[in-house]
Amino acid sequence: MPVTDSGTPDDSDKGVSLREPPAPGEQALAPQTGAPPALEVRGISKDFGSNRALDQVDLRIGDGEVVGLLGQNGSGKSTLVKILAGVYDPEPGGRLFVGGEEVALPLAPGQASEIGLSFVYQNLALAGGLSVLENLTLGQRIGGGLSSWAPINWIAEHRAGAAVLHRYDVKLDLDRLAVDLAPVDQARLAIVRAAEDLRRYRTRSGYKHSVLVLDEPTVFLPEEEVDRLFDLIRTVVAEGAAVLFISHDLAAVRAITDRIVVLRDGRVVGEEVTAAIHEDRLVDLIVGAPARTGESAQPETAPVEDQQAVALTVAAMESVGDPVAAGENVAAQHLTDERLHDLSFEIGAGEILGVAGLIGSGAEDLPYLLFGARPDSFGTLRLGAETIDVGRLSPARSVRERVALVPADRAVLGLSQSLTLWENIVMLVEDEHYRGGVFHRAELVALAREAIDRFLIRPPRARNPMSTFSGGNQQKALLAKWLLARPRLLLLHEPTQGVDVGARRDIYRFVQSAAALHHMAVLWVTTEFGELAEVCDRVIVVTQGRHTATLVGEELTEEAISAAALRQTREDR
Amino acid sequence: MSAPAPVDEAREEEHRAERSAPSALLRTGLQRYAILIVFAIMVAVFGVDLPSTFLSIGNLSNILGSQAVLFILVMAVLLPTVVGDFVDLSLGSSLGLSAMTLAVLNVQHGWPVLLACLAGIGAAVCVGLVNVFFVVFFDNDPFIVTLGTMTIVQGVIYIVSGSNSVGIVSTNLSNWIFTDEFLSIPLEFYYGLAIFLVVWYVLSFTPTGQKALVIGQSREVARLSGVRVNRQRAWAYIIGAAIAAIAGIAYAGTNGTVDPTAGSTLILPAYAAVFLGATAIKPGRINALGALIAVYFLATGTAGLELLGAQTYFQQIFYGAALVAAITIPKVNRERFFKRRRAA
Repeated sequence: MPVTDSGTPDDSDKGVSLREPPAPGEQALAPQTGAPPALEVRGISKDFGSNRALDQVDLRIGDGEVVGLLGQNGSGKSTLVKILAGVYDPEPGGRLFVGGEEVALPLAPGQASEIGLSFVYQNLALAGGLSVLENLTLGQRIGGGLSSWAPINWIAEHRAGAAVLHRYDVKLDLDRLAVDLAPVDQARLAIVRAAEDLRRYRTRSGYKHSVLVLDEPTVFLPEEEVDRLFDLIRTVVAEGAAVLFISHDLAAVRAITDRIVVLRDGRVVGEEVTAAIHEDRLVDLIVGAPARTGESAQPETAPVEDQQAVALTVAAMESVGDPVAAGENVAAQHLTDERLHDLSFEIGAGEILGVAGLIGSGAEDLPYLLFGARPDSFGTLRLGAETIDVGRLSPARSVRERVALVPADRAVLGLSQSLTLWENIVMLVEDEHYRGGVFHRAELVALAREAIDRFLIRPPRARNPMSTFSGGNQQKALLAKWLLARPRLLLLHEPTQGVDVGARRDIYRFVQSAAALHHMAVLWVTTEFGELAEVCDRVIVVTQGRHTATLVGEELTEEAISAAALRQTREDR
Repeated sequence: MSAPAPVDEAREEEHRAERSAPSALLRTGLQRYAILIVFAIMVAVFGVDLPSTFLSIGNLSNILGSQAVLFILVMAVLLPTVVGDFVDLSLGSSLGLSAMTLAVLNVQHGWPVLLACLAGIGAAVCVGLVNVFFVVFFDNDPFIVTLGTMTIVQGVIYIVSGSNSVGIVSTNLSNWIFTDEFLSIPLEFYYGLAIFLVVWYVLSFTPTGQKALVIGQSREVARLSGVRVNRQRAWAYIIGAAIAAIAGIAYAGTNGTVDPTAGSTLILPAYAAVFLGATAIKPGRINALGALIAVYFLATGTAGLELLGAQTYFQQIFYGAALVAAITIPKVNRERFFKRRRAA
C-alpha cells in the first residue's frame, strides 16, 4: 500500500493517520472557509477497458453539508460510489482526503468504515428475517470488534436500541421483523444504522468528520413518504455527519441538498448551490446541451463482417416470413398496479413502441404485467379482436395467446442455465414435435441449430450448457427462443443489459426485422434512452406511473427522452 | 457504463468454451459412464473371487428379484425429485400404508386380494394429495411437510395394524409377484421394469418430461415460459404415491406378512439410488436410466459382499459410501484439479 503524505507513517498500514482531533469550532459548516472538508476527492479516474467511466473527478463535501450527486445512467455515479466503498480500484493519480488527511487509494474493501464513510444502497442490505434490533446491532457483531463469544445481554441491548432510535427521532418496534416494515421504515432503519456507525466512529476516533453516502434511497418510496425520510436525513446531519445524496430524482435532490454536483460521461459538468439553480438548467446539465438542438449521438457501426452476417440473417428471415400473418394491433388500457396509474397505449402491427421511465416510475412493471406475471394488476389487453382482462392473465395463458416476454434478469428468469443451448431455444415449440407418441428430438436440435446460425449465437455449440455462454449470446438465445414461437406481441425489458456492443447491434436488427417481417407488435422497456431513440418508432414516457409524454420522429433523441423523463418526476408535488 | 467489460468477458468465454471442447467431451464421457465402468470392474472382481456362487443364475435371479420393491420405490421417488421437490420422505410410509391396508383388508376383513390392492393404492394416493395440498398449494418446504406426513402415516400404520405384523396375505398375490418366475427371475422384476419403461419414456421422450426437467432445473423460467408448474408438481406427487403403493403391494407379495416398519427402511436407499443415478448417463440431471443402473449397481455390490461373508450392515456402509463418492469425485476432478492447473 502506498504511504500517505501524513506525518505518522507508522499508522499508514491502516490507511488512516490518527492525528489529534481538531479543537471544537475549528471546522466551520461551509467548505469555503478553509476548514478541511469532510471528504474530498481529487482527480479520480476509472477505466473499464477502453471506456473511461470517470475522468478526473473532483468532489468536496463539507461538514454538515448535504451534497446531491446527479447524473443519468452510465454517468459514473455508481462507479464513484464503488471506488469510495473500496469495490473498484481507481486509476493511479487520484487522491482522497478525509477530514483534511490524505488516505491512500485504492481503499481496501471494508476500509471505508474505518475512515468514517458509511453507505446505504438502494437494496438497503437489511436482513429481512431478523428483528429491527438485530439489524441495528448486526454490523457491530459481524466484524464490528465485538467478540463472537461475548454473551449478549438482550435487556441492555434493547435499551440501547431504543436509545438509538430515539436519538434519530424514529419510532419503530424493535421486535418487528425488518421484512414486515413499510418500505420507508426499512429505508429509515438502514439510514439509522449507517448513521449510528458514523456516530460511533466519531466518538471512537475523536474526529468530527464523517460522511453518509445514500445511493438512490428514494427510488421505491411513495411520494408522501419521502418527506419522512428527509426529516431523518436532517437529523443525521444535525448529529454531525455530512451526506452525499445520489439520485436521478430531481425533486428529491432539490428538496434535501445544499449543493448539487452533476456528472455526465464521467466528468463533473456542473456544481451549483441548490437554492440558486433552476430546474431547466439542471436538466440541461444532466442530459447535455444537445437537448435543445435535438442532435442525436453518432450511430455506432458494427464491423463489416458482422453487418454481412446480419444482412444474411435478415434475408433468411425474409425467406421464411409467412405473408399470411397480417399482424394485429395491440392496445393496453387502464393498466394499474401498485406503481402504475391508469396507463393506456396502443401498439400498431409491426411497430416498436419504446417505454421510457426512470427506475421506480412503474415502467419496469409493464412487460410483466402484460404477461400476467404480476399479481394484483388491473386493466385490459386487446390483441387483435380479442380483449383479455390483465388481472386474469397467467404466463401459461399469455404463451397460448402468443405473447412473449424477454425479462431483464435473463440468467434467472429467462433461461435455464443448467440446460443446454438447444433445449432452451426450443422450449416453447416442443409440443409441435411430439407426434404419434414419438418425440422428434432430432428435429428440435436441427431447429435449434438453424436458430443458432440465424441469431449468430457464438460459440455455435447446441449441446453446451447455457451457463457457458456470454451475456450477449444468452440474450440472443432468449430472443431466439421466443421468436421461434412467432409471438403476436413481444415484450422486452432491458434487452441489452450487460450485453456487448456487437451483440447489442444484432439484437436491434433481429427485433426490427422480426417486427417488420412478421408484423409483430413490440414493447421495448428500458432505462437506456439512447437505445429507445435508435430502435423505436415511437416512445412514451412514464413518470410516477402515468403516461406523461409521447415522442415521435424528430423528437426521438436520447436527450429529449431523458429530459422528458427527468423533468416530470414529482412535478405534481 | 460497464459496456466494454462484457465484450472482453464474452471474448474470453468464447475462447474458453472453444478451447476446452475436446477435454470437456472426454470428461463428460468419463463422468457419464463412470458408474458403468466401476460396475463392470466390480462384477469382474467378484466373478474372479467367487466364480461358482457370484456368477450363477441363482445369484442373478436373487439380485434382480430381491431388489424389485426398492426398484419400484425408486421410480416413485424419481418423480417429485425431477420437478425439483427434492425430498418426499412420505413415500416410504406410503409404501408401508399401502402394504398394510392391503394386508389388513385381505387377512382380517377377508376382502378379495385385487380389491384390497386397489384400496392400498387409494390410501397412498390420499397421502399424495395431502402432500400436494400443503407443499404445492401452500408453497411450503417439501422436506418439512413430508417429514410431517411421513410421521403421521407411520402412526396411522401402527393404529391400523395394532403394532403387529399382519399376514399371511393371499397366496395368489405371492404367486403373481414372487413365486412365479419368467426366465428364472420373479415376476415382480418385470413389473418394476414395466414401470421403469413408462417413467423413462415419459421423462425422456415426451414434451411433458422435458417440461418437468425445466421445472426442476429453473422453476421461474418454466413459469415464465407458460409451463403449468404447480399442476405438474401435483401430478408428480400423486403418481409418485401411486407407484410407491405398487411397491407396497410387491412388498406384501414378496414377504407374505407386512411389518409396520415396512417402508421406513427403504426410503433412504431409494434416495441414494436416485441421487447416485443423477451422476450417471445424464450427469447433473435426475434420470430414470441412471437410477435403474444405480439400483442394480448397489444391489450387485451388496450381494457380492454378502457372498464374501460380510455382515449385512456392510450394505449400509456400501450404500452411503457409494453415494458420497459418486457426487464428490466429479467435483474433485473438475474444480480442484483444473483450477490448480490453470493457476500454475
